[in-house]
Amino acid sequence: MKLIFEQSGKNSEYVPESKAVLREPFGRKELPIPDLGEVQVIRHYTKLSTLNYGVDSGFYPLGSCTMKYNPKINEDVARLPGFAALHPLTPEKSSQGALEMMYELEKDLCEITGMDAFSLQPAAGAHGELTSVMIARKHFGKKRSKILIPDTAHGTNPASGAMCGFGMVTIKSNSRGNIDLDELGKAMTEDVAMLMITNPNTLGLFEEEITKIADIVHAKGGLLYCDGANMNAMMGITRPGDAGFDIMHLNLHKSFSTPHGGGGPGAGPVGVKKFLENYLPVPRVVKGGDRYSLNWKVKGSIGKVGPFFGNFGVLVKAYTYIKAVGPELKLVSEAAVLNANYLMRKLQPHYDLPYDRICAHEFVLTSKKQNEKGVHTMDIAKRLLDYGHHAPTIYFPLVVPEALMIEPTETEPKEKLDEFADSMIKIANEPPELVKSAPVTTPVGRLDGVAAARQPNLRWSNE
Amino acid sequence: MNYVPNKGKETAEMLKAAGVASFDELFASVKPKLARKLNLSPPKSELELAGHMLELSGKNTLLKNFVGAGSYDHYIPSAVAHITSRSEFYTAYTPYQAEVSQGTLQVIYEFQSYMCLLTGMDVSNASMYDGASATAEAAFIACDITERSEIAVLNKLNPNYEKVLRTYCESRGVKITGELTQKSACVLVQNPDFEGNVHELEEFANRAHEAGALLVVSVAEPTSLAILKAPGECGADVVAGEAQGFGNPVSFGGPMLGYIAVKKDFVKRIPGRLCGMTTDSRGKKGFVLTLQAREQHIRRERASCNICSNEALCALAATAYLALMGKTGLANVAKLSYERAHELQKKLGELGFALQNTKPFYNEFAVKCPIKPKKLIAALEKRGIAAGLGIGEDRILICCTEKLSEQDVEDYVNVVRGLL
Repeated sequence: MKLIFEQSGKNSEYVPESKAVLREPFGRKELPIPDLGEVQVIRHYTKLSTLNYGVDSGFYPLGSCTMKYNPKINEDVARLPGFAALHPLTPEKSSQGALEMMYELEKDLCEITGMDAFSLQPAAGAHGELTSVMIARKHFGKKRSKILIPDTAHGTNPASGAMCGFGMVTIKSNSRGNIDLDELGKAMTEDVAMLMITNPNTLGLFEEEITKIADIVHAKGGLLYCDGANMNAMMGITRPGDAGFDIMHLNLHKSFSTPHGGGGPGAGPVGVKKFLENYLPVPRVVKGGDRYSLNWKVKGSIGKVGPFFGNFGVLVKAYTYIKAVGPELKLVSEAAVLNANYLMRKLQPHYDLPYDRICAHEFVLTSKKQNEKGVHTMDIAKRLLDYGHHAPTIYFPLVVPEALMIEPTETEPKEKLDEFADSMIKIANEPPELVKSAPVTTPVGRLDGVAAARQPNLRWSNE
Repeated sequence: MNYVPNKGKETAEMLKAAGVASFDELFASVKPKLARKLNLSPPKSELELAGHMLELSGKNTLLKNFVGAGSYDHYIPSAVAHITSRSEFYTAYTPYQAEVSQGTLQVIYEFQSYMCLLTGMDVSNASMYDGASATAEAAFIACDITERSEIAVLNKLNPNYEKVLRTYCESRGVKITGELTQKSACVLVQNPDFEGNVHELEEFANRAHEAGALLVVSVAEPTSLAILKAPGECGADVVAGEAQGFGNPVSFGGPMLGYIAVKKDFVKRIPGRLCGMTTDSRGKKGFVLTLQAREQHIRRERASCNICSNEALCALAATAYLALMGKTGLANVAKLSYERAHELQKKLGELGFALQNTKPFYNEFAVKCPIKPKKLIAALEKRGIAAGLGIGEDRILICCTEKLSEQDVEDYVNVVRGLL
């Protein structure tokens, strides 16, 4: 397909013409971007959209990403002029609805997680992690220099810790896929600021000894952090705040149904227990009588992590979702966990299942059985595209070689799970050369990533 | 509404197939259990939900915007939302499976290209959260390259950018100073600066380079690039900015759209995603995420930045906006914004407001008010006008875009005249 820059035309009159002739320094001579007619632009991006695959196209079992259905009304309400056209520096009197929404959302997130206070300011999960590590840094100052993470951690966890100058120490998992308590006991010294864990973890398994883990960390004065990427497994069932977590982030673009947008925008609110509340980013939304306002004067806050109040448009969508579902969030998590267990048991006879126990909302298989025929996880992933599904997360978590991490989410009907299982089983029995030549039905074949990195072509140029 | 499609019959079958008798068994290893129902408002039908949200949005009052200060209210052609509403775009994940993500990938490549063309830089990333955090990350690129840990901020940054920079620097052990020394990793300037002044970047570039530092330029108002000389042509080594003003609504301050663009020598230091052009197994042109060895999912604790999800859909909106506007439309947007702001500044000057800009300005300017800014802002709010942002005791920062008509400017002046 042509690039937008390889087309030409006459642009539409979206704004009136200005006859002004500006002098230096406003006389930019060259603006090398094309003028195009609206129909050209619409056709270009419509065509590009058809080369994409989204949740609306079909099954999207990307582990750790919670690709659940994105309700359409959420999109519509975020575009209501009362929200979308509201400037962030509008005086408080004229922005009461926005402040009320944020206040209520914070309150609901506290109830769902068992934390005492939330900040909505972080713009994504990793941003929420970074904010949390900044809070740990502020809490301990230079007194503690290490953060512990399990070997199943998301890559963002160690990167967030290192950004704030912490040494990262990895704790091994035991044979059940949980944190090894002996290892943790040895590593948890008074130099450790925080243990960062994902619960259920990235193997799709709940930490069975979570309260003991909390005790070990707290006995040495450390903080226990929950990467809430997998909240979709536990809403209404268990709460991180009750399990002993001191601080956590949520991904509203996962459990709370806001779309992933092809890589954002997301939202990564951070929740804390009372004793950490004053560290949260400013401003905080507060309520006095029935008026909402912004409080900038919090002693001890880490400051600001974003220019305004967070990804407001995303927050509106998550709020709408929570108001639609209410306490039935428990049914959501139950269905998510059931869908995963059902699919896991259907696939178990055909694929290696390294941790054979009840899973949470996702599970990890490997292609060990298929490796004997020369077929690898990458091949299976690409072959699934030919069958009209998106691939699972692959080669993660790093502790499982040739991993396929499958998260069906609760919004998939049983018939879709059966269809996917059938495809997986077929692929397990297909001739290796067929699987290895996949995909054949996609708009492009396998792409040469090595060439892309060796001779980077990262932009169009008019030269 | 809970969006769960399976009914009781299927659920029973599935529990059986999963080898458990009940949901209790499915969650047997989970502790501590929440022994009660979540205390949230009861579920709503879509009809009730739509009503509730309309009511909530109606508690906000939309004012005529004479406020900018980091969020710019430019006109957005209808076609932009029609493009971003294609669910193949907005319901997709990050394009890790390139064969079924060519749409998103080509859009990123085009976004990177547009940002390079506008900034005069060689390489742009796929986006950052916002201009403020992008500015902080851009300064850290300079720290990495020069192995120095001070940042010399030499003009007036947007205070929210400055606050974010401060938070990031504090946790990273980087010092912010107001003067250029041999310890400075970079000179950081915003252009136009917070009060709208347009600076001569060449001068900053020369000073920075003489001291062995880089020049990092932060651009908060993206439409300024349409009429100002590209920072890349003035000696900038890194440009970090905000592109919300390209096709994304003000939306109470988020989502925003940050980006970082660099000179090509620094491509391996740039944080976030990069999309590159390559070929497929059939010899056809295609796109992939590339140079991923820089990123957290590969490099983990050795990654220089932890960013993962960024603002892809906002980058799509910006790309569509730039395609629709073209060079002619974008120049008109910038010129009209310029004209309105200069008109208003002149008229306020005639009413006795002291003009505060020491250099040429684009669409944002500061004035000293003969009456308390608080009083002025409250009076205009009553007339449906967001007058500007009060700065300090007696000054106000005002912004105009092409969305304001000559009549809007006239109305503003008339209300002010009545107050004096």
